[in-house]
Amino acid sequence: MWSSTNTVCRSHKARRSLLAFLVGGVCLAALGHAQEADLRAPSAAVAGNAASLSTTGQGSATFYLVGPSISLKRDVRLGEEVSLSAKELQSAGKYLAIVCASSCRSVGFFVAPAKPVNLAFLVHPSRAPVGENNVVSGVALPFDEFRNLVLAPATVDFQWSTKGSAPVSHKVATQNGIAWFHTNSGRSAGALQVAASINDISARRVVQQVASDPCSLRITGQRTKKGIVVETEPVRDCTGNPVPDGTVVTFTAKGGKETSTVDAPIKQGIARAQMTTTGPVVISAASGVVMGNELRLGAE
Amino acid sequence: MVNETHSCRLAMVIVVAAVALIAPHYSVCADPSPQVVLNTSKAGPRSVESLTERAILRDFKFAWMNLDQALESSSTEPLSGLFAGTAGAWLNDAVASQRRSGLSSRYLNQSHKLEAVFYSPEGDMIELHDTADFQLQIFDGSKAIHDEHVVVHYVVLMTPGADRWVIRQLQAVPEF
Repeated sequence: MWSSTNTVCRSHKARRSLLAFLVGGVCLAALGHAQEADLRAPSAAVAGNAASLSTTGQGSATFYLVGPSISLKRDVRLGEEVSLSAKELQSAGKYLAIVCASSCRSVGFFVAPAKPVNLAFLVHPSRAPVGENNVVSGVALPFDEFRNLVLAPATVDFQWSTKGSAPVSHKVATQNGIAWFHTNSGRSAGALQVAASINDISARRVVQQVASDPCSLRITGQRTKKGIVVETEPVRDCTGNPVPDGTVVTFTAKGGKETSTVDAPIKQGIARAQMTTTGPVVISAASGVVMGNELRLGAE
Repeated sequence: MVNETHSCRLAMVIVVAAVALIAPHYSVCADPSPQVVLNTSKAGPRSVESLTERAILRDFKFAWMNLDQALESSSTEPLSGLFAGTAGAWLNDAVASQRRSGLSSRYLNQSHKLEAVFYSPEGDMIELHDTADFQLQIFDGSKAIHDEHVVVHYVVLMTPGADRWVIRQLQAVPEF
């Protein structure tokens, strides 16, 4: 009996000890949890704007921030806010905030680009032949002051104009931070002013519209003491623009079984060549895919 | 005696065959280079030529290898010109600030699913959407302070250089 009572008593003691141990453990765990650091990220951070993270817990801890262009480490007090300066949040993208006390906790957050203040504007080509379809194209990308690509939809106003004509406007909404256009070149040679603007920001480019390929060639020639001098009439493209100097015209002289050719660049709208042939000849001219008239000259 | 020699040879052949079968498998698993796939079917207004596609894949993969090496070693030496403009400046700043704060980071088991969303009419710029999947580890000295498997969405701008495509913008976004 004694023995059994003693056993019961021992058993009670053991239970009490176990209970006390469990309760103590739970209390310690709860206390530990209460002191464990936790972080709350800024809700809508914008590039170049200061923000803060709130922490929970007590005591000191080490705070880390890892972002697209920054890694920093500093001591903080748990339970207080951690301030991030505007300079520390200039790059748009994903940031990771970590706070380490007895253990480490982390939270990720995004920084959005700020308002666009700059337009990257790529226009091609720098020289375009007149009368070509969709030959001029432009791509505009809005960036904020920290060179972050602004991805929020915005409307870019593309405008192009030539001297003496009313500007043409074409509004395009950005998709994934990009707006683009393409257009035909005009009918007359000269500067094509191209502009892209968004809000009050604009970027300008110039495309030089140049004459297209020669439309036709007419040649005249005469014999001289040194041979034959042959030249073209002013060479123009199909819309009447003078073909640029330097464009090569090939003169070919066929006399009997002999054929001779001379390449002559256009100077001030006219290509001129001297050929040394004595017998009767047929002279023709070509430039690009255009053939001129045939000129027949008799023997000297 | 003959039987023993035969058995021995047979065993050797089996071991060699087993090693030969297993070795390539392990070498694939141990391959630290990023896995990159590129879908160009939605690219426009210009369509992406197959040679261009291959060049972009090659250079994007090398760029991320370099990024990982640079941020692991906190050195700009591994950056072999595959990041330019804003992306290059940001990466250089990230490396410099890591060195100052004694941090380093690793991008392990990288997998990138790229989708071309814009290819300029003249072929001088491409915009990609990268769904990157990797194990991100951050160390303070030798102490690991963060180890997490992450999926990050990046908007990427690449332009052609003399002999390669370079990343000019690498901007993480919450979603596409």
